[in-house]
Amino acid sequence: MAESIFPYVYQKEVLPNGLTVIMIPMESPGLVAYYSVVRTGSRDEVEPGKSGFAHFFEHMMFRGTTRYPGPVYDSVITSIGASANAYTTDDYTAYHLNFAKEDLEKVIEMESDRFQNLFYEKQAFQTEAGAVYGEYRKSITSPFSLLNEKVQDLAYDVHTYKHTTIGFEADIKAMPEAFEYSKSFFRRFYRPENVVLLIAGDIDPRTTMALIALAYGPWEKGYEAPEVSPEPPQKAERTGSVSYSGKTLPILNIGYKGDAFDPGNRDYVAAVLLGELAFGETSDLFKKLYIKEQKVEFIRVGVPVNRDVPLFEIAAMVKKEEDLDGVRDEVYRTIDEFQSKPVALKRLNDLQRRQKYGFLMNLDTPDKVTGGLARFAALTGDIAVIGDLYTAFDRVSPQEVMNAARKYFVPVRRTVVVLKGARQ
Amino acid sequence: MSDEHVVQLPVKVDPTISFRIWFKVGSQNDPKGKEGLAEITASMLTDAATKNNSYEQILDKLFPLAAGYSATTSTEMTVVTGRVHKDNVKEYYPLFIDAILHPAFEREDLDRIKSQAINYLENTLRYSNDEELGKAVLYAALFAGTPYSHITTGIVGSVKNITVKDVEGFYREFFTRENVVIGIGGGYEADLLRRIQEDLAALPPGNPVLVPAPVAKTLTGFHVAIVEKDSPATAISMGFPIDLLRGTKDWYALAIANSWLGEHRNSSSHLYQVIREERGLNYGDYSYIEHFPCGGMLSKPPQNVSRRQQIFEIWIRPVPNEARHFALRAALRELKRLVAEGMSESEFRQTRNFLKKYVLHYAPTTMERLGYALDDRFYGITGSHLEIFRATMDQLTLADVNAAIRKHMQYGKMQIAMITKDANSMKRALLSDGPSPMTYKTPRPSHILEEDKVISVFPVKVDPESVKVLEVKDLFER
Repeated sequence: MAESIFPYVYQKEVLPNGLTVIMIPMESPGLVAYYSVVRTGSRDEVEPGKSGFAHFFEHMMFRGTTRYPGPVYDSVITSIGASANAYTTDDYTAYHLNFAKEDLEKVIEMESDRFQNLFYEKQAFQTEAGAVYGEYRKSITSPFSLLNEKVQDLAYDVHTYKHTTIGFEADIKAMPEAFEYSKSFFRRFYRPENVVLLIAGDIDPRTTMALIALAYGPWEKGYEAPEVSPEPPQKAERTGSVSYSGKTLPILNIGYKGDAFDPGNRDYVAAVLLGELAFGETSDLFKKLYIKEQKVEFIRVGVPVNRDVPLFEIAAMVKKEEDLDGVRDEVYRTIDEFQSKPVALKRLNDLQRRQKYGFLMNLDTPDKVTGGLARFAALTGDIAVIGDLYTAFDRVSPQEVMNAARKYFVPVRRTVVVLKGARQ
Repeated sequence: MSDEHVVQLPVKVDPTISFRIWFKVGSQNDPKGKEGLAEITASMLTDAATKNNSYEQILDKLFPLAAGYSATTSTEMTVVTGRVHKDNVKEYYPLFIDAILHPAFEREDLDRIKSQAINYLENTLRYSNDEELGKAVLYAALFAGTPYSHITTGIVGSVKNITVKDVEGFYREFFTRENVVIGIGGGYEADLLRRIQEDLAALPPGNPVLVPAPVAKTLTGFHVAIVEKDSPATAISMGFPIDLLRGTKDWYALAIANSWLGEHRNSSSHLYQVIREERGLNYGDYSYIEHFPCGGMLSKPPQNVSRRQQIFEIWIRPVPNEARHFALRAALRELKRLVAEGMSESEFRQTRNFLKKYVLHYAPTTMERLGYALDDRFYGITGSHLEIFRATMDQLTLADVNAAIRKHMQYGKMQIAMITKDANSMKRALLSDGPSPMTYKTPRPSHILEEDKVISVFPVKVDPESVKVLEVKDLFER
């Protein structure tokens, strides 16, 4: 491996049952961050009617065990003043705690317990389904949730990226019926081979590892990888529209089927930089549409880090409905330009420098370090890939940026969705 | 510029430098008919051209540094915030200081910034964020007629009226060298601080008069503002003014009671246990003794939103419309119990031990600690609020906490804000005060069902003249 951008020395160990443990000692005033990354997300929801289940299951993980029932788990977490939460994404689910270093042993005991011995009654399961529906309700008033739902549904035919992480409303409503299914979810996915522990902060790796081995050692293997159908190559451009029941300015979303995360894939790495160069806040397009002509409230781009083929997306909120087509055409013109001539070397070098410092500036607390690495750990089971990725960024040439534009940003990979408000 | 205008937080091992340049001005200083001017003026410093660089040039120069700056305006404070890696500070600092000293105040930038504010008010706040909407309606009702009544973004009609001249005048009046405090933290050199002090001496002169702290409405009974909106769920916020600010012993005592009742985004919250955990009615339920904007986005309290008048506040995240009356009663019943009975010894001990460590998570970064240090200056706290907070936990007794509850809390005089569908039926239900039985689609334990019977008839007497039904399209209009 080339000299890594990652400034901390870390230690990685794998237990005989397959559990990966990554420890990152760093200066922090007595604080520790502890991430349990389960390499299962809404991507793994392959059964019909079960969209949103990875997220729902994340809630169930707080319902406790026979040794530490939910209220007892909560009260111990409270008594040690830990900051504890969890989140679910398309590709993984993360459980995270921040706490004082003297509580590390207790946290290891409790986290290893719930990952091995989760236990809940049917009533608690059904009550939690209500809270999940509540979470859906609080989010769905946003036009962006609705747009996202539509984009994914239209862009994918068979791959599970077709549904959002929160899931379809009908499936969320039916969750109380899925008690038995929930147990199989735990049995199949919550297994040591499918989990990475990331622990950063004021820790001693040797004693930490000894505690981990003792607590997680008995956890039995048994991960069953779901068969996620690969999305066949798209054959033609797709377009759609969606109406939002409230009031909003129209939003234009242009997505292109990209590639899964792979720092060894030069096209992918160049595409990350291309997104910023073509549509970021120093791009010519941004300056034209946002600053000079002021036709958009915002324009933004995303070239995500995903396990399978994601959408590389450009989204713009347009001030006047009659400008929608014009803004869309400007986006296409920008892509044409990047396909036909290489970007200026200075622009590229500026961006490479920005990537480096952007990364370095976000490592100032154990929680930010573990939080920033969680997705990479989930996708690759390691964090060494960070070094590979930033080394690869530094080597991208203007020609490669052009290649990425030609490969990904073509009509046949495209899905365009326009959202408009029903009220004026 | 003298040391009373400086707050320092050196952290040698931090490879970055944090700046917080605080101007003692906020939305409370917005002139009548120009509500939103403070926030817009601040944005005209950080999101717009200077006399030396166009906005595009600024973005280009900041780009390779992976650094930027921005301004936040709250009711009483405006802070220009920036952070940069030490390696890049030589290139960064001239841009940062130029933004504060030499804003160009160009018409095109103002149009863009105004358009964003209007879009937020007309679309985002009214239609896509019922939770923030509920809070804005609560504050507007409690502080009607005072400089605290409007949100920092302003009012649609006023924002539209703001001109370049208004911005220039506001800048000259409030962004002055007597009215600034320099906050600097992280791995900076002494030279840098000296340079900022010298540079900021070039700000316009002037010592603006502080507006008096608002006198909140004296409430009699329950007052309810119900916003009619085609919404699948009901967002609820409620509260009343309290006469307490951080730094005093009573504040830390009340912080224990408040944390027990509703620690923000934490399952230790009692309201969360009752409404979400046991009944599954929503995503969370919390309470506050300090202003906490953007609660949906933040897991810990924000910095630099200090104010001289605070309220006690309960936030019920959206519940199904059919459960809105029940959820309101459930929350009020818990509040009444706390006010009447105080905390128990075990609740007190558990919460105190929790807070002693939990406040460590309030400010893990240099930038956040610097924010707290400025707030200490705002409240006139000698030393660090967070350190005092932790130390005080060992000194307080249950009797202190219950005395603080009796002294500063009350039950029965409260403003309630609800965002819901068919507001008039909610109004009728409140006025009749009839039973609001709870039914669940799935079974619940018998002790919950028994308690539900009590909650569903918990009396909440509201006078007809104390209930207002509002249309969402009229909010923040003029």
